[in-house]
Amino acid sequence: MSSILPLIKNECIKIIKKKRFYVVLLILLILVPIFTYAQMKSSELSRDKFNGDWRLELQQQITDNQNSLGSNRIPEEWKKYRLIFVQQLQYYLDHNVNPKEPNGVTFTREFMDNSISLFIPLLIMAIASDIVSGERTTGTIKMLLTRPVKRWKVLLSKMITMIMFVSLIILSTFAISYLISGAFFGYVGFNMPVFTGFQISGSNVDMSAVHAVPQWEYLLMQCGLIWFVAVTVALLAFMVSVLVKSTAASIVVMMAALIAGTILTNMASAWTSAKYLFMVNLQLTSYLAGTPAPIEGMNLNFSLIVLGIWALVSVIVSFTVFTKRDILN
Amino acid sequence: MNSSKWIWRSVSIVSIVTTLVLLVGFIYAIKDVNAPQVGTEAIERPSQQLGEGVADSMDSKKEYKIAAIGDSLAKGTGDETGSGFVKRSVEGLAKSSGKKTTLLNNLGINGLTTDGLVTKLDEEGVQYVLKQSDVIILSIGGNDLFQGAQLLSSAKGESETSAGAESTNSAHEVTAEKIQSALPKASAQLKVVLEKIRVINPDSYIVYVGLYNPFGDMKELKTVGNEAVTRWNNVALTTINKYENMTLVPTYDLFTHNLKRYLSSDHFHPNAEGYQQIANRIVQGIQ
Repeated sequence: MSSILPLIKNECIKIIKKKRFYVVLLILLILVPIFTYAQMKSSELSRDKFNGDWRLELQQQITDNQNSLGSNRIPEEWKKYRLIFVQQLQYYLDHNVNPKEPNGVTFTREFMDNSISLFIPLLIMAIASDIVSGERTTGTIKMLLTRPVKRWKVLLSKMITMIMFVSLIILSTFAISYLISGAFFGYVGFNMPVFTGFQISGSNVDMSAVHAVPQWEYLLMQCGLIWFVAVTVALLAFMVSVLVKSTAASIVVMMAALIAGTILTNMASAWTSAKYLFMVNLQLTSYLAGTPAPIEGMNLNFSLIVLGIWALVSVIVSFTVFTKRDILN
Repeated sequence: MNSSKWIWRSVSIVSIVTTLVLLVGFIYAIKDVNAPQVGTEAIERPSQQLGEGVADSMDSKKEYKIAAIGDSLAKGTGDETGSGFVKRSVEGLAKSSGKKTTLLNNLGINGLTTDGLVTKLDEEGVQYVLKQSDVIILSIGGNDLFQGAQLLSSAKGESETSAGAESTNSAHEVTAEKIQSALPKASAQLKVVLEKIRVINPDSYIVYVGLYNPFGDMKELKTVGNEAVTRWNNVALTTINKYENMTLVPTYDLFTHNLKRYLSSDHFHPNAEGYQQIANRIVQGIQ
């Protein structure tokens, strides 16, 4: 066990020195201000329209959604979403809580919510897809394996390092989006109540379990779920990185899978066995927020198990392949 | 190699702490979703500030806050520009009075009946809007009397105007009997609606948009439709007369001989020009 720590240390330094992590930070530093600015513009617009009264805006939103419920041209599936959405908005309105109160924390919460299925996995891939295949592209894998360390230890050290950086990426996403959006919207809002516990049965929302949590607690839970998703994606990317020779190829494979996931979530529902695919299960935070799952019969535990199995399989595959394979050229 | 040491230390400590925090959050989330703790805290409701409570006449008001509630006519269905009479009257009022005129909310919902409106008026959000408004434009009743009219129109090739509430009416067309039978109950409900709005906001000026008969050019429906609409408008007027600050804006006469000109292609809702005519009347009714 003593020999694994230096290996992890080595890997960490490599990631930092190879500037992989800086790329992630740079992407965040460029994109978050753009999103913040867009959000600011849109909230300015609605302020002009509704006298700055969020209740009026919310009521109009409810009315508009109710109107669209009546239209025959809207698919039943969407109607269900909107019906649930209306009921939740109504709940916020009835309890006099602004679900979108503009502040840095709310922005961060929504940003994290939106980035769980594509943006954060993308950032993760910047590190995870490169961690093994990068060594092969440059040929340094041979140096690594000629050292008197067992192969599985080499791989394990890489995996642990990767998970460490997954946590760091989530931390930086949170920190950067809070710091930047706070400059625009103010750094308050940690104690604002957020409702959770909407239970969806059919197209109705069961309000009996709804309770308010302070926003910081909600964020904590949210980030925990994001972390689980990110680790799963990282382990999958790790497996691909072991299987494929070049970094580019492994990024493309993972990207294709993730994008297929977002497309599938939008159309799915008819093809119910799609729920066993990992990319359909990435939106874990929707269980917290009470948005309906893309396919009937999915719930938090189901998604956790599906993701867990995918992660476990990819760990097993990575280790068996890596320890057995000959390293040529 | 000092920098490496520093990198390793900071990275390892920060990442381990973060991982632990995230793990706690993760476990917490699972717990909360699977076994939510209900009713841990009641949220305090800040008492909502109501209107000033002074029954000003319309002239002395510095600005008009307008809200609209009711059915598809309030929403503006059929208007090619989507404005409906609500936006048009807001614009018209701003122009003719020179005062600041804002539309707070348009709460019109396609297919709303008096029954639906009565329950809607209990909603916190709706009451909040109505309490703030100086002028409330109300349009309701058309769907009670002419149930199934939307179906009739959709058979004619329009899909946009379907009614939400009435999913039960398969293949029923508008018949004379149906109109007659709907009248007593609906007009009683209208009274309830008007009274409720009055209680919610005692100081606002309520403008009720009267009904017209969209079937005036169909032989079998002309007489019965006209009769029903007239009776309806009478009942409405009787209720409205009991209160201060309420008025009925008639539209019946506008449409009687101008159906072709003012009705949209679904043959039920007004078109842009029809809405403009109604809006003109509303503006006259307010000032």
